[in-house]
Amino acid sequence: MRIIPTIVAATVAALILSTGLAVAETRLDPMAVLAGRPAGSDPLDPMTALRARADLAEVADGNQEFGGLPDGEGAEETYYQCVACHSTEIIKQQRVTDHRWDELWRWMVEAQGMVGPEPDTKTLILTYLKTNFSSER
Amino acid sequence: MSDQTASTSNQHDAEASSGSRRSFLKTTALSALGAMLGMAVPFERNLPAGFLPVALAQDTGLDLMSGKKGLMVLGDRPLNVETPVHLLDDDVTPYERLFVRMNGLVPQTALDQDAEGWVLTIDGEVETPLELTIDDLKSRFENVTRRLVIECGGNGRAFFQPGTSGNQWTFGAVGCPEWTGVRLADVLKAAGVKESAVYTGHYGNDVHLSGDEEKEVISRGVPIEKALQEDAIIAWAMNGEPLSAVHGFPLRLIVPGYPASASQKYLNRIWIRDKEHDGAKMTGDSYRIPAYPVAPGTEVPEEDMVVLTEMPVKSIVTFPETGAEVKAGEAVEVRGHAWCGKGDVASVQYSLDFGQTWQEAELEPAPNRFAWQRWRAKLTLPQHGYYEVWARAVDQDGIGQPPLSPVWNPRGYANNIQHRIALVAVG
Repeated sequence: MRIIPTIVAATVAALILSTGLAVAETRLDPMAVLAGRPAGSDPLDPMTALRARADLAEVADGNQEFGGLPDGEGAEETYYQCVACHSTEIIKQQRVTDHRWDELWRWMVEAQGMVGPEPDTKTLILTYLKTNFSSER
Repeated sequence: MSDQTASTSNQHDAEASSGSRRSFLKTTALSALGAMLGMAVPFERNLPAGFLPVALAQDTGLDLMSGKKGLMVLGDRPLNVETPVHLLDDDVTPYERLFVRMNGLVPQTALDQDAEGWVLTIDGEVETPLELTIDDLKSRFENVTRRLVIECGGNGRAFFQPGTSGNQWTFGAVGCPEWTGVRLADVLKAAGVKESAVYTGHYGNDVHLSGDEEKEVISRGVPIEKALQEDAIIAWAMNGEPLSAVHGFPLRLIVPGYPASASQKYLNRIWIRDKEHDGAKMTGDSYRIPAYPVAPGTEVPEEDMVVLTEMPVKSIVTFPETGAEVKAGEAVEVRGHAWCGKGDVASVQYSLDFGQTWQEAELEPAPNRFAWQRWRAKLTLPQHGYYEVWARAVDQDGIGQPPLSPVWNPRGYANNIQHRIALVAVG
């Protein structure tokens, strides 16, 4: 089920250099995402088996004090940083790579005018987001 | 400028309240809140965690959602609301069943339905810049009423694996209301488009999530060739009523075939550019796809991302609702809609055996170009048991919908995966 993006990225880089086809064949497997019916998918709605993650409902039961974000180190800091602009609903929907979280942070600061916190807090928040809203783990 | 001011003020507050991490955090968020409301929030340190002043809740438009029946709220700020696919069965999508995609906050003029003094400016690469009131538009140009599909570029994002960032729309960020307005092309011709014109740049008066009034929420555009085709309209009415607050009152563009982000809401300016427009969410990876196919999960350099233009061919099954019980051996109607970013759809097929065999569905002609087309089929399930109906539309070039997500892209746009529903036949 899981794709490890660093490996994918490395493989793609290798593909572009036309040196890594053998490696690509062993690691890029389109059938991998179709192996097994995802937990929580509903046979009476066949599309749920094809969603990136079918277990969105689990996260919906997070800590209500922090907009339903799941408990964990950084939950509180994440909540106060993010709700300055948007609600937690958009956070809870995400299942993205670590790299994408770094990019989103950059985009929010550079294009959307987000006021960044101290570096330690930034690290704490990004670690929390990458831990809880990831396509990698 | 205001960003810097906010930053300085944050640092100052942080120093003042050092020793209490919690109060620092609360101050950070609420200072931003103050910036958003354009004023200081009195007694902000006394506000309980999670509390947001009433003004904020109202500006998102969430209060207006009581008029939307049975829709799913993906996010409340910004407001993003999806229609379950079985509620999209109408030929003309009614207000209650049209999705909402807000990039920012609903402007006060729209909340108040106040169009007093509204002016649409056409400027840039034109012979005669125009400043048009809504009455000017209505009286100077031919009024047209058309059914036009509007679909979010991210509709179907939920099916990309690995996941991509943004609202996880499934099938319901689409609709086909009846819009009334004037042709964009007529207005541009009245202004006299210069040879140097390359692209349009659209602007509205919606409010940025940060509350910074100087900041563009979204400003996208289309190639001038697309703008000069006769399909796109500047609309003031939807289904015979003035545009509602969440759908762009008092004026909006409808540029059919392109991602709905090109159909600017709260429209007050069209800037004709001499190059590809570079407004908010035109650049970076917003509404862009890789210039070449990439493996799922690949990060693509910004310079290799190109603007998403025509949306791909697509269809949905709107009746029955997935999971419905039907009688084995008895004919049942299955139906839905099909549409395509290039114009008319050529055909729709359906499969009852997981894609092993396909049958032709009946496909009605579009009432006008870029309206969705009704497809229907009468089918009989031979014996009791579990069945899936898969539907696929094919465009005029013979390009159809894939059974799984099409090529992955970093932001999850233009997913035209085949829609499947389950039917349970009982004996």
